[in-house]
Amino acid sequence: MTLHDKPAAIPEMISATDDDIDDSRYVSGLPGPLGVIDVVIARIEAVLLALGVLLMALNTMANVVGRYLLGESIFFSEELNQALIILITFAGISYAARHGRHIRMSAFFDAAPFPLRKTMMVAIAAITAAMMFLLSWYSFDYLMAQMGRGRLLPALQIPQWWIIVWVPLGFLLTGLQYALTAIKNLIDRDVWLSTSVIEGYDDSTEEEV
Amino acid sequence: MAYAIFGSMIVLLLIGFPMMIPLLMGALIGFIALFGGFGQLDTMVQQILAGIRPASLIAVPMFIFAADIMTRGQSANRLIDLVMAFVGHIRGGLAISTATACTLFGAVSGSTQATVVAVGGPLRPRMLKAGYNDSFVLALIINASDIAFLIPPSIGMIIYGVVSGTSISELFIAGIGPGLLILVLFSIYSYIYALRNNVPTEPKASWAERVAALRRALWPLGFPLIIVGGIYGGIFSPTEAAAACVLYALFLEMVVFREMNLRQLYQTAKSTGLITAVVFILVGAGAAFSYVISFAQIPQAILGGIGIDSMGPYGVLFTISIAFFIGCMFVDPIVVILILVPIFAPVVNSVGLDPVLVGTIITLQVAIGSATPPFGCDIFTAIAIFKRPYAEVVRGTPPFIIMLLGVSVALIFFPQIALFLRDLAFAK
Amino acid sequence: DTWRYAFEEAMEEVQGKYAQKFKEEVEANSDHEVQLFPFGTLGESADIMEQAQSGILQFVDQSPGFTGALIPEAQVFFVPYLLPADQDQLVSFFRNSKAIHELFPPLYAEQGLELLTMFPEGEVMMTTTEAVASPEDLNEVKFRVMTNPLLVESYKAFGATPTPLPWGEVYGALQTGIIQGQENPAFFIESTKMYEVTDHLTRAGHNNFTTAVMANKEFFDGLSDEDKTVIQNATAAAFDYIIEYQTGLTEESVEKIQAAKPEMTVTTLTEEQRAPFKATAEAVEAKFLEIGGSQAQAILDQMKADLAAAAGG
Ligand code: NA
Ligand code: NA
Repeated sequence: MTLHDKPAAIPEMISATDDDIDDSRYVSGLPGPLGVIDVVIARIEAVLLALGVLLMALNTMANVVGRYLLGESIFFSEELNQALIILITFAGISYAARHGRHIRMSAFFDAAPFPLRKTMMVAIAAITAAMMFLLSWYSFDYLMAQMGRGRLLPALQIPQWWIIVWVPLGFLLTGLQYALTAIKNLIDRDVWLSTSVIEGYDDSTEEEV
Repeated sequence: MAYAIFGSMIVLLLIGFPMMIPLLMGALIGFIALFGGFGQLDTMVQQILAGIRPASLIAVPMFIFAADIMTRGQSANRLIDLVMAFVGHIRGGLAISTATACTLFGAVSGSTQATVVAVGGPLRPRMLKAGYNDSFVLALIINASDIAFLIPPSIGMIIYGVVSGTSISELFIAGIGPGLLILVLFSIYSYIYALRNNVPTEPKASWAERVAALRRALWPLGFPLIIVGGIYGGIFSPTEAAAACVLYALFLEMVVFREMNLRQLYQTAKSTGLITAVVFILVGAGAAFSYVISFAQIPQAILGGIGIDSMGPYGVLFTISIAFFIGCMFVDPIVVILILVPIFAPVVNSVGLDPVLVGTIITLQVAIGSATPPFGCDIFTAIAIFKRPYAEVVRGTPPFIIMLLGVSVALIFFPQIALFLRDLAFAK
Repeated sequence: DTWRYAFEEAMEEVQGKYAQKFKEEVEANSDHEVQLFPFGTLGESADIMEQAQSGILQFVDQSPGFTGALIPEAQVFFVPYLLPADQDQLVSFFRNSKAIHELFPPLYAEQGLELLTMFPEGEVMMTTTEAVASPEDLNEVKFRVMTNPLLVESYKAFGATPTPLPWGEVYGALQTGIIQGQENPAFFIESTKMYEVTDHLTRAGHNNFTTAVMANKEFFDGLSDEDKTVIQNATAAAFDYIIEYQTGLTEESVEKIQAAKPEMTVTTLTEEQRAPFKATAEAVEAKFLEIGGSQAQAILDQMKADLAAAAGG
């Protein structure tokens, strides 16, 4: 990688808290009632992310406490963590798409002239959206197949499909975010990384609209 | 087909697609080509989920969470102040301490990604403040974390031991020598780097200052106690130690130091969830891609054509090193071990190589591969955690990769680096 | 055609040996090629099973313990002291069992699978850090078991604290002392080096690890009669081969373990010592009837009839 990116941020400015996303300031790129729905979904995703992580910590510790203090392991602990990590991942990819946080290698992109960047961003967002919709469809298909097979989680003894219901939904919502980003780039004069974030890697140049 | 897939993945990556797309596209093209259409994409979804599901990966979000709480509060700073009170006056002291911390933490946690987060998270801002260049800092953290693979417990060595029928205890001991050698090399490089770039040193702390720093760090010293004592003491699995660190960090920052309120707790948990998702979707996409490689038996096809059976021991060791290095650049290390070890097993036996040496070399290659562009999992973890551009994260890595490759070549010619301790311990 | 066959163990372990023989037979007697995929190369047990169900794989080897999540009746193989310790009786049972050859196939068919065969993989043994001679010795021992309700029930009944752990963490957990025991067939204890991190091997004779080979049903039904015969013959030949291969395998594995670690104790419990372990079987059987699905009672009764026949013949 010979091309240089933007210069590093000044060290003093770097701290974890600067990166926090304030959900109350999130404004949907969608008009009217669709926008209201979008804001509600954004908020639900955020809450699921936080709850998922907290529950995972509690669940894992409860297993330790159970093993030492009660002499009994929590059998479903591992399965619950599996359910939570799937929930976190698929609520999170949509949330990340919404806030332009997916990892990408932007060195060549950033070096391109503005019109090319804009064209590339439309193509990137559209193709990414297509991939997400495709995976949403086939994960729905997979979900249906799992329902039909009736496989149980061995410890919890509940159907395995319960823990993967988020998967098609997560891909669908992520696909919608990228589709909207493609549209936003077509109708607006700026280059948008997501519907709410103007392109640029460095947080100091990002604006939540 | 293989080359078309690898080629299109690299192009998509360079154009600036979200990194999950090149991996998913590679998998998608593979599935369509293998099954003549979209008919088996259910299995692609299955493999994405199989990639994020392993129980041992839970340690990653837990350490992200704990490190984030510690960094936002006071725990991390108090611990680093303590270290600085002892090494701040030494040229490159902070960098050497960081490398050492990565080695120790990686050794016990067994997870390179968790190490990038838990050690790199708090130490990177301090290194930047101390005047180190960010590319150097990122590369140091990523590569030092990989020593985790070599120092026990190491999941890569366990898998190798099972697949190849080699003693896992011997492998564990054989990994220590090369692991420490790498740490020494990284420390020397850090010293030279600090010297050449005039990274300033701090005035030497007095013993009174050191005692004061120690007192301030008393509570946070519980973390190494939980991690090292808890894991080696047989109380926690690494994942459980991570969760214990989360609760201890919450206790310190919310009750003892009162640095964090419920609202900040929510923000921290959400931010952890976001980073986890961004990293895990890549792990899942990588698993789907690995499946295609494995199912199509691509490694067998490539390796079948190079005549490994007629090579001598050095040729075999070099071929193994190169195969694992390249494999791990694209595919999950565990899968690479599972696929390649059986392919090489007969020739390893026939030329009479020590399987413990081969296992150590393979583990080292796997470690290097996961820190190497384009798709090393430590690289995308670092991008997600530190929010720095891809190019900047990888720019500083070449010197480290050269040192690591140097150690692998040294291992081939001087197997005693790995086998000395093993022979001592097992009286061979 | 190229047929793909995945299994849960490494190439040189029992399932791998069976698969290699099956491949050899099919390729010798037809134009088809069989590609083998050992443990982990296409995913975990549940993953390869689903791939066989969806037709990506033509053949899969999955042990009934895992299949229990899909076909609850298959868990019958975890009821302790149901299968005989005597090798001849065991083989006779697997060859002639009406439960295996008539009752199980329709249950597998419902899941889109053609059950080809079931075969034993070897006596399950415990390896622990403290010696075990009675259930009291398992008191407070954190014992790793597969996440299966019946195994959990068994070890609870034995007095241990059954502790679920992912397989990759077992070695480390035994080494640091999070757990103090695990169970597996001897060849697996040998190949996975579990003896390196435990000190005592105990043969309580409570079970023999069973596994099953199946084909995707749609694929199988669509084959010509000639190809079906090829598969059935290969299945039978591989069955004979694996039974032969196993003669002495258990003792050989135990000897290898003792050669690698002379201080490892190997204890075969006497009938008298086994009695208190056997006494717990009833509770596990009750649990099986509770969670073993609608055919549980029929399967259990038939198994017992088959076993009585095997013991008599
Ligand atoms: Na380690
Ligand atoms: Na890599």
